[in-house]
Amino acid sequence: MENLEINFKKIDQIKKITPKEKNFRTKNLELFKSAGFPSKRLEDWKFTDFRKIVDNNFNKLDTEKVTSDLQKTELIKNFEHNFIILANGSLHSSNFDYEEKNKIKINSYDNNIDYEPSDNSLICLNHALAENGYSLEIEENYKFKKTLVIYNFFTKDLKNKILNNKNKIKVKKNSEVHIIEYTINESKFKFINNVYEYLILEKNSKLKNLYIQNNKSEGFFHKYSKSELFDNSEYVNLIFSSGLRFNKLDIESDLNGKNCSCNILSALFLNKNEHQEIKTRINHLVPDCKSYQKVKKVLDSESKGIFQGKVYVKDVAQKTNAYQLSKALLLHENAEFNSKPELEIYADDVKCSHGSTSGSIDEDSLHYLMTRGLSRKESTKLLIKGFLNDVVEFIKNPKIKEFVENKLEEQVNGNK
Amino acid sequence: MLEIKNLKASINSKQILKGLNLTIKPGEVHAIMGPNGSGKSTLANVLSGKNGYQVSGELNFKGESLNEIPVEVRAQKGLFLAFQYPLEIPGVNTNNFLKTSLNSVRKARGEKELDTLAFLKIVKEKSSELGIDEKFLSRQLNVGFSGGEKKKNEILQMKILDPYFSILDETDSGLDIDALKIVAKGVNSSRSKKKSFLVITHYQRLLDYIKPDFVHVLSDGKIIKTGFGDLAVELEKTGYKKLN
Repeated sequence: MENLEINFKKIDQIKKITPKEKNFRTKNLELFKSAGFPSKRLEDWKFTDFRKIVDNNFNKLDTEKVTSDLQKTELIKNFEHNFIILANGSLHSSNFDYEEKNKIKINSYDNNIDYEPSDNSLICLNHALAENGYSLEIEENYKFKKTLVIYNFFTKDLKNKILNNKNKIKVKKNSEVHIIEYTINESKFKFINNVYEYLILEKNSKLKNLYIQNNKSEGFFHKYSKSELFDNSEYVNLIFSSGLRFNKLDIESDLNGKNCSCNILSALFLNKNEHQEIKTRINHLVPDCKSYQKVKKVLDSESKGIFQGKVYVKDVAQKTNAYQLSKALLLHENAEFNSKPELEIYADDVKCSHGSTSGSIDEDSLHYLMTRGLSRKESTKLLIKGFLNDVVEFIKNPKIKEFVENKLEEQVNGNK
Repeated sequence: MLEIKNLKASINSKQILKGLNLTIKPGEVHAIMGPNGSGKSTLANVLSGKNGYQVSGELNFKGESLNEIPVEVRAQKGLFLAFQYPLEIPGVNTNNFLKTSLNSVRKARGEKELDTLAFLKIVKEKSSELGIDEKFLSRQLNVGFSGGEKKKNEILQMKILDPYFSILDETDSGLDIDALKIVAKGVNSSRSKKKSFLVITHYQRLLDYIKPDFVHVLSDGKIIKTGFGDLAVELEKTGYKKLN
């Protein structure tokens, strides 16, 4: 790694570090240093040669802290919401005026989680250096009255930085929250954002997470998201994060309690030179759980979309119902879609299905629309919208749906 | 209205239309009949401007050559094709699509674009005129529509876009008698001195409801016989073979 030097002194500089934590961080930094950035030689990175991407885009990288303040924070006006503001991943401020007091705890990231060792060197790097992020806890028996928007601001001065952040959300028994993570980019320079996310859904809880960004970004995003679901809990993850130059979402979900359901849905429109991978691993560990995955990507010139989806069903996890579908619409001959659906099943009474298709815009459909007076461009846009629509339909709140539709439209029109 | 001179069209080096001549004046309804593979649908596709055909000959629409005019501009100029097999467009709401479509046609004509309310008023009016349940307009375009619903939707689109010249490509095939009557009503209620129709059909049955001014027989890429309404009745009895 010629472009990144990290001295072990970095770890000594961390304030209030316990010997245990220091040991953990040091070990992870050693792991990262010996492995380097992941390359395509690793099965999990087969379609995303991150080492090469880093080499091609960065001469120099550093992990020094960024001191910038947020200039101004413009909030969404389309619907009422609570909010958390993150500046380059650190907790900046929050507001829960719509909610009851003492039901929600928000803090800067706490480091009290014992992590298992990882073979993803970016996770090791995160474990070694992450100092920022947030920790959100929702008390038992509490349903949020309004949506929570997490504004994820990236400031101007991130040139060649690697940001490492950790976030945790715990939804306790019988509670429910809908979150929109809204990324806003001001950086005109390239940087890497490396996030570790840990989600806990206790019995009968619900967590809906929607990712979308305001504008295009020069950022290279990697997020590993681990969720643990307990009895009757429901997790919905809606991914609309188009417009990012590079994004790899590595989602792992453990279904630990009966009758829980895990839903991962994505609708993406990728422009020139954009690269997005969604990698999932759903672990059905107990009987009677459901998982549903639907990933749709529209790929324009020289973009690359990847879906690696794995469903693992443990021998005891009878009556598992797992569904997985990925579909790509290719608009250009240089666009690329890679899909690797995997099922690993050890139980014998399960319902698991997977499918993957890719194709270009149907000429006959285009012709049909054009005979109704729409130009080729308008007709193409309409077909793209139609293609992505069934994922958008998962948004039940009409105002939020409209907001997302408008953002998607901006992306398809290439405005942002 | 429409003048076709020596129209030849081939696809994948196979010649389908082999020198077709046809003139349709304003206010006229022409029917084209012919056996399978005679080139009826190719004629409809070529008139609509579909890609993929090598076309020669002259196509004039309202005194203007259509040869270099793209599909959507033909539609904006008032040419409409009701498809034999209307396509299913998933994720696209029928009403929204129709509104976009109508507004692009209106814009091209220099008319004001309609807002949702004004548009819905037109839709309500036209669908009740045809006796079509407007409920299916809130569904995705043709998705899960029965064959009859798809054809009725084509006729409703025709009524809403209000074109000068409409081509009905085997709109009657697969329709029950009630749906057939709706299609016929759609055409008959639009007939005027300014509007013309080209009805492509296999069967004389539709022509009991839509009385054509002329009937042409298309065979092997050419019109081989032209007559009046009684020609269709005759064909129904004798078949196409005798003509060859």
